[in-house]
Amino acid sequence: MSGQTGDFVKDWQVLAQQSWDAWLRQLQHPPATPQPVGNEVLDRTLAGLKGCFDWMQGMAAAGASQPGADWQSLLRAWAGAGNQPFTQAFAGIDSNAAQGFIEQWQAWLRFAHAGGFPGMGATGPVPAFGPQREDLMQQQDLVAAVQAAVEANARYQALIQRANAKGLELLQRRLVDRDAASRPIDSLKALYDVWVDAAEEAYAEIALTDEFRTAYGDMVNSQMQVRQLQQKQTAAWCRELGLPTREEVSALGERLQQVRREIRKQASGDMGAEVLALRREVSALRRELAELGASPAGKASPAPKPKPSVRRVAAPARRPSATTARKR
Amino acid sequence: MDTPLQLDPTRLMQEISTFQRKLSAGLGQLRHMREPSYANTPRELVYAEDKLKLYHMLGDRAPTAKTPTLIVYALVNTVWMTDLQSDRSLVRNLLAQGEDVYLIDWGYPGGADRWLTLDDYLNGYLDRCVEAVRQRCGLEAINLIGICQGGAFSLCYSAMHPDKVKNLITMVTPVDFQTPDNMLSHWCRNLDVDRFVDAMGNIPAELMNWVYLTLKPVRLNQQKYVGLVDILDKPVELENFLRMERWIFDSPDQAGETFRQFIKDFYQGNKLVKGGLVIGDNEVDLRRLTLPILNIYAEQDHLVPPDASRALGRRVNSTDYTELAFKGGHIGIYVSGRAQREVPPAIHQWLHARD
Repeated sequence: MSGQTGDFVKDWQVLAQQSWDAWLRQLQHPPATPQPVGNEVLDRTLAGLKGCFDWMQGMAAAGASQPGADWQSLLRAWAGAGNQPFTQAFAGIDSNAAQGFIEQWQAWLRFAHAGGFPGMGATGPVPAFGPQREDLMQQQDLVAAVQAAVEANARYQALIQRANAKGLELLQRRLVDRDAASRPIDSLKALYDVWVDAAEEAYAEIALTDEFRTAYGDMVNSQMQVRQLQQKQTAAWCRELGLPTREEVSALGERLQQVRREIRKQASGDMGAEVLALRREVSALRRELAELGASPAGKASPAPKPKPSVRRVAAPARRPSATTARKR
Repeated sequence: MDTPLQLDPTRLMQEISTFQRKLSAGLGQLRHMREPSYANTPRELVYAEDKLKLYHMLGDRAPTAKTPTLIVYALVNTVWMTDLQSDRSLVRNLLAQGEDVYLIDWGYPGGADRWLTLDDYLNGYLDRCVEAVRQRCGLEAINLIGICQGGAFSLCYSAMHPDKVKNLITMVTPVDFQTPDNMLSHWCRNLDVDRFVDAMGNIPAELMNWVYLTLKPVRLNQQKYVGLVDILDKPVELENFLRMERWIFDSPDQAGETFRQFIKDFYQGNKLVKGGLVIGDNEVDLRRLTLPILNIYAEQDHLVPPDASRALGRRVNSTDYTELAFKGGHIGIYVSGRAQREVPPAIHQWLHARD
């Protein structure tokens, strides 16, 4: 009977996986009309749901769908089947900026170690000399930096895997420690939610250690080292081809920002003071007019012209207008 | 209790089948949904410079508040965080309470903005926005609401220009950047930020989002979408979900130089607390803050732990300092239903008493 059940479960899982895959293909197939909701949203959603579906499938395959399965054996089987749900969830985080580096570098490194780059033999760097010395040394620096970045990433990934294992341990403890009055967990979704809590807690504990902090810093810093060396190499190629380098474009940006600041400083300095003086003059004139209008004599006579001295104060002293400048 | 798990095989099969059936029925619908729009509360442009815009937000009725309030949000965010949807809009809610609201839109920095510094942002852009509002309203000082990094900016600004700020409200604002539970700060500590900025230039939004997602990888990258299965057949809820998604992942890149100084001085140096923070020609000393302050923090904030915000009370010399705890997280404080019921009325009440 149990054999028949097992066959049924296997068949069912295969069928479920096939229908999931078919359904994914159908969803990801470009529609005839432009898709209103961004593809990125759909991709993220699908990736998240697929992760949960795999989790459920993994649990069912480990024996949850077997009648009378012992829960501790079930978790052991699940963990023993190489399930890395936390690591998978982590790896699934969509980011064009963060992904791809390592995969790209590993392929590049294999190529370099196979002797694909000059100055880099299969056993490591060879002494550099002759007219190509600088290029060879740069190449060797880059290979060493990529190697360091791949190693730093491996240390970081090892900690993520440790978080995965700790999460499973914590899940087991949580289940053991469940209060006698607690309702037993009777659905995969409920079990999944308990696992998520345990996985996040275990990860947070590791992520706040000094070891993680060092690994994180090493991973980022080593990636940036590779990037800088790549930029250096690209700049050399650009110079050879007569193209502007990143450094040159960046220097233009810096100068642009300085010019922006200078313009604003002038506007808020000389011109700002000028505007302020004019405003004060207008206010003074308004007050004078109001006072004259209020006095009996003032009502009879027209308002006097503003005093020339006040006008001189307001006149631009240092910066002649464009018209005046042209006249000169 | 004999066993914590009582998984009935038949029920499990049904559960997986139901999950899959709901998905195939509902996600087809997802493909045909239009990208949801934001609340887009009516506004008038009152000042613009480079990519920055300053808006005067317009409510259904004239404001009753005498002092205008300028909202300053974080550079990693967009203006829509305060105006997400019509029934979840901090701006709209404040207007309904009678506040006179101005809103800065920082814009999306491009390559030419890579050299913008904190001084440019605070003593440049922000100061000119404050000036624009002051001149428009004919007032010596206005109110500031600073959110998250915008809160840290508002604190620095108020300390550097105390005469221009009447009342200050900080929301989910980090002050002590090195509390033991601050994961983001912990990760930043060994970062060679000079090399990082030199190599990257502007910091891409995708990279920033990746960092935020890795703070709670399963919850934010997987579990959140599982909840979606239950609302796939509820168009309004689905639209709200998609709007949030649009907003969360629609982030500006970070201007490289500003990022460099912010990480060095705030995250690595913790200078807002330890002292020695210099922005442009100004030293920022929180003890100079004597104005009324309302400090709102979220009890379940995973980005800015409550202790990081609560540290403000011990650093300022204000005799009118109030703390308000919100039962929710960093995002919920602006966009949850509870936040709409609790936060804007509390802000209005506090401001009204000091108007």
